[in-house]
Amino acid sequence: MDFPSRPLSQLLGSSGPVHAVSYSASPGTYILTGSADRSIRLYNPSTTTAPPPLPEGRLIQTYAAHGYEVLALAVAGDNARFASAGGDRAVFLWDVATAQTTRRFGGASGHGGRVNAVAFGGAGDSLVVSGGLDTTVRVWDTRSGGGSFGGKPVQILTDAKDAVAAVAVSGAEIVAGSVDGCVRSYDVRMGRLVVDVLPASVASLCLARDAKTVLVGALDSKLRLLDRATGACLRTYAHPARRNDELRVQAVLGGKERFVVAGDEMTATTADTTAPTAEAAGRIWAWDLLTGKVVAQLAVPWGGGGDGNEGRRRVVVGRDGKEKERRNVVTCLAWKEGGFGSQFCAGGTSGVVTVFGEG
Amino acid sequence: MSYKRSRGTFEADIAAQQSPYVIFGTALPPLDPEVRDDGSFVPVWKQEVRDERGRKRLHGAFTGGWSAGYFNTVGSKEGWTPSTFVSSRTNRHKDDSHAASQRPEDFMDDEDLADAEESKRIQATAAFTGLGSTEDDASRASSLMGLSRTESETMGTKLLRKMGWKEGQGVGPKIRRTARLELRNDVDDKSNTFLFAPENIPMIGFTRKLDRKGLGYAGESTLLPAGFSTKTSGFSAVHDDIDADENIDDLKQSRFSLDLGRMKKERGRGGIGIGVLNDTGSDDEDHYEIGPRISYNRIIGGDRKKKKAAAPTNSAVKTRPTFIPKKAGLGRVALGVRKCHDGRLPLDGFVFGKEADTLLSTVGSEQKYPPPEIPADWVSAKVPKLQSDPNTYVSTADAAKASTLDPKSRAALLGEKQLPSKSIFDFLSPAARDHLASVTGKTDLPEARGGVPAGYALTEADRLQNLINQIPKMDMETAIAAISRGVGVGAPYAEDEQKRSRYRAYLEYQAGFNKNPPQKPSQTSTDDWLRELKEFFECARIFKPMTGLMASRFTTSSSSTKLTAGSRDDVGDKDVLSRPPAKPQDPAEEAAKLGMFGPLTRSVVNFYPTRLLCKRFNVRPPAHVQPDQEPAGSGRARNEAPPHNDAYDEQRASRPELLALKFGSGSYSSPPAAVLRDPASVTEAEAIVQKQADKPAIDSTRNDALEGAKAGEDVFKAIFGDSDDDD
Repeated sequence: MDFPSRPLSQLLGSSGPVHAVSYSASPGTYILTGSADRSIRLYNPSTTTAPPPLPEGRLIQTYAAHGYEVLALAVAGDNARFASAGGDRAVFLWDVATAQTTRRFGGASGHGGRVNAVAFGGAGDSLVVSGGLDTTVRVWDTRSGGGSFGGKPVQILTDAKDAVAAVAVSGAEIVAGSVDGCVRSYDVRMGRLVVDVLPASVASLCLARDAKTVLVGALDSKLRLLDRATGACLRTYAHPARRNDELRVQAVLGGKERFVVAGDEMTATTADTTAPTAEAAGRIWAWDLLTGKVVAQLAVPWGGGGDGNEGRRRVVVGRDGKEKERRNVVTCLAWKEGGFGSQFCAGGTSGVVTVFGEG
Repeated sequence: MSYKRSRGTFEADIAAQQSPYVIFGTALPPLDPEVRDDGSFVPVWKQEVRDERGRKRLHGAFTGGWSAGYFNTVGSKEGWTPSTFVSSRTNRHKDDSHAASQRPEDFMDDEDLADAEESKRIQATAAFTGLGSTEDDASRASSLMGLSRTESETMGTKLLRKMGWKEGQGVGPKIRRTARLELRNDVDDKSNTFLFAPENIPMIGFTRKLDRKGLGYAGESTLLPAGFSTKTSGFSAVHDDIDADENIDDLKQSRFSLDLGRMKKERGRGGIGIGVLNDTGSDDEDHYEIGPRISYNRIIGGDRKKKKAAAPTNSAVKTRPTFIPKKAGLGRVALGVRKCHDGRLPLDGFVFGKEADTLLSTVGSEQKYPPPEIPADWVSAKVPKLQSDPNTYVSTADAAKASTLDPKSRAALLGEKQLPSKSIFDFLSPAARDHLASVTGKTDLPEARGGVPAGYALTEADRLQNLINQIPKMDMETAIAAISRGVGVGAPYAEDEQKRSRYRAYLEYQAGFNKNPPQKPSQTSTDDWLRELKEFFECARIFKPMTGLMASRFTTSSSSTKLTAGSRDDVGDKDVLSRPPAKPQDPAEEAAKLGMFGPLTRSVVNFYPTRLLCKRFNVRPPAHVQPDQEPAGSGRARNEAPPHNDAYDEQRASRPELLALKFGSGSYSSPPAAVLRDPASVTEAEAIVQKQADKPAIDSTRNDALEGAKAGEDVFKAIFGDSDDDD
């Protein structure tokens, strides 16, 4: 099985950078994108019209309730609900069909800052785990409380010394990666907290399906696969050309855990030079999990279709008043788990989510 | 013309027809053919008993039955419905005056109601019936009783009780005697003696005989009213001669005896036949107790009123309302009541001021026991002290002048210790003494000894040491910092080269670079020199190095650049001084930086998930999570024994000491004097470490303040107990 490197479609509609992408639960037919324009969009990437240069995924639903940018998304296993969180310090629980929030965890007992990560957990996905800038991980009960900013968290985990950048839940374990460079595994069954120290701030976490290993993306431009039992580093994935030392760039395990896929802060230069947006294209790196060798290096074009206004969007006025060109940094990735064929999508600062598949 | 007859005419007609022979009274109603009126048998089921209101109440059929509530229940027709308590902020239940509440009357039947009504009759007791009248004045004036009427026990009784006295006992120490057992009074076993309280001996009240009866005459027993015969009415007025002594006797008994129980008067001295009317057995019993209870007398002396109604004018007669002729009455009165000294009765409306109580009269009368007369030729053995003559007054100052005592003798008189002071001449040189003698002209000055005071009898080295000790001290770091800052343009005393060099010397000495103390310039006085040194001290104190957070925030540009640029070794001395202490590295972080992932980078602590979290994860709570011990939302993991954290804390705790060590050690090696101080500082640091090790062991499981021995109950009583002595 080769690495799916062919762009299948583009998901348009966001007017700002996309901070979070997520496939729906198995079979992963739909893609949710959380954008800086405060809305969450539900796409079907496969039903496409075919405008040049890339087919466009169909926008099915827009979920708008956030007052700030959406930074994290998580889809429940039954595909009926999903959770979102972002700059408004609250975690929203949505009903997919009605596009209404059923719970809003926030308010007085909510996060004190931006919420960076959110994940479902517990039996029947009855818990929502969120981690944020206020250095806490909060566990919310979806079954009780949380009317309109009411409800108290089931538990607040306050061990992190710095902002929590990523959380993951597997079984009865909560894994939280923090900017203080620690990956904390809360084992609820054993009542143990295992702290693994990394040399740099943790930007992303991705648990393997058996939860025995975890892929940790740190701000030293390296990805590490840690053995959760011993804390040993099984393999390090890095490339001299890849850089990740300031942004939250997501790294995921994909392809039945054969690949390690991660974004890059640097823009692609090796992409095809014929495209006009070559310099601004983002980059995706893919390593082989076992060998640690680079499998693929994909360029993610700025996208936006051929409506001619992509150039305008790329040029923004910076704080210093000068115009500058935005780079497309691939910050969020999602691998399609389950379903037919291997597929993943990547979103970034361009606001366009590109779906890659086998070609 | 027909008209309707009245009912009365109709009935009269009927009666006339049915019973034509009735002349007096009212004829019985005509016979109802339905009703048999022949007194024949009526079966029980046809008999009906009704109360006075026509209700079928069968209880107490002979007295008309009693009923209360709903058919003698506490319920109602609907059943027993408890009332609901409703109270709101606007409508307070306690403010609701007409709230339905149950009264005792709801549960009382007619008889109880009648009783209650009867008991409501309010009547002043005998003691107050005379209010406004002069009827009782005689008794009131006769004794103290009118003043101090004690309803409860007196303070004296309370005091006696506190001292261990009990009712029925006599006062005094316990007596050892044999037990007086009535059964074995023949056995006089002297060995079996016990301590007994003394017997209660009634106090003998000597009564002045006021009547003209024979000695020992106690009067014949008469039929007295019930209220009078019970001795609770003993305070009532005593007018009758017959009962006068008897009542006085009662008063004495009840006043001075310790027996607080009701004194049962022996009334066995009956005159002629003892009938049922003057039976001695039971005074309280009414042998002819018939009739309803309503007629009971509830007032002490309440029957007086009836008597008064019978004979309102004659208060002297109590027993029988018999008519007494005026003359005879007067004579009778004259027997007991004194006349005025002119032989006449007092005016109407006036009574005699009765002579005071016998007790009082014996106590308080001065005329009875006048002091003995002093003989005319008696002279007291005591001579009053003569008053000082005002003419011979001498002021204190004059007396002091006149005194021949010198301080030494005065001190001897007062017993003071001799001061160790010496004369001034002890310290004068002979030449000075001669000079003084020639100036004053006195020749009797003491010998000059030419001694040296203790403070001045010092060697040169000691004096120098004293001087050095007076130099203001400064800690080494500050001095070093001041030296390092004393080189630039803005350095202190830049304009005065000499002063600057002195300043520098002072700092070097304080920093330990220069072992020799700064030399005092020969032309300046010691005070000036010390003042200048103090000024140096104040000046250099500004350069005290910052510590901790502040130091990390403010760093000089040169040192920071050097810190980033160069290695630690080639940083100059001066920059070293202001460099903030390096942040202690977490060993785990260092291991992670080196890529040594595994046990080094891993630490395991306990984590206490809440029960709900465990429930939602569908796992059993871990063993160390106590049920309900952890409040929700405070799930911070505790560091049980993280190895690196302990090391970190220790490092932090002892950082000042380590810093001191570093200052003294060779890392800042340029001042050689630092080495000289080194051993001292090392031992100092060792002492600190030792002190840390010697910290008293604290048992965290025990709180002495809470679990210490509880104070005794006496302490609590003494503090919080009621100060009143009622027990």
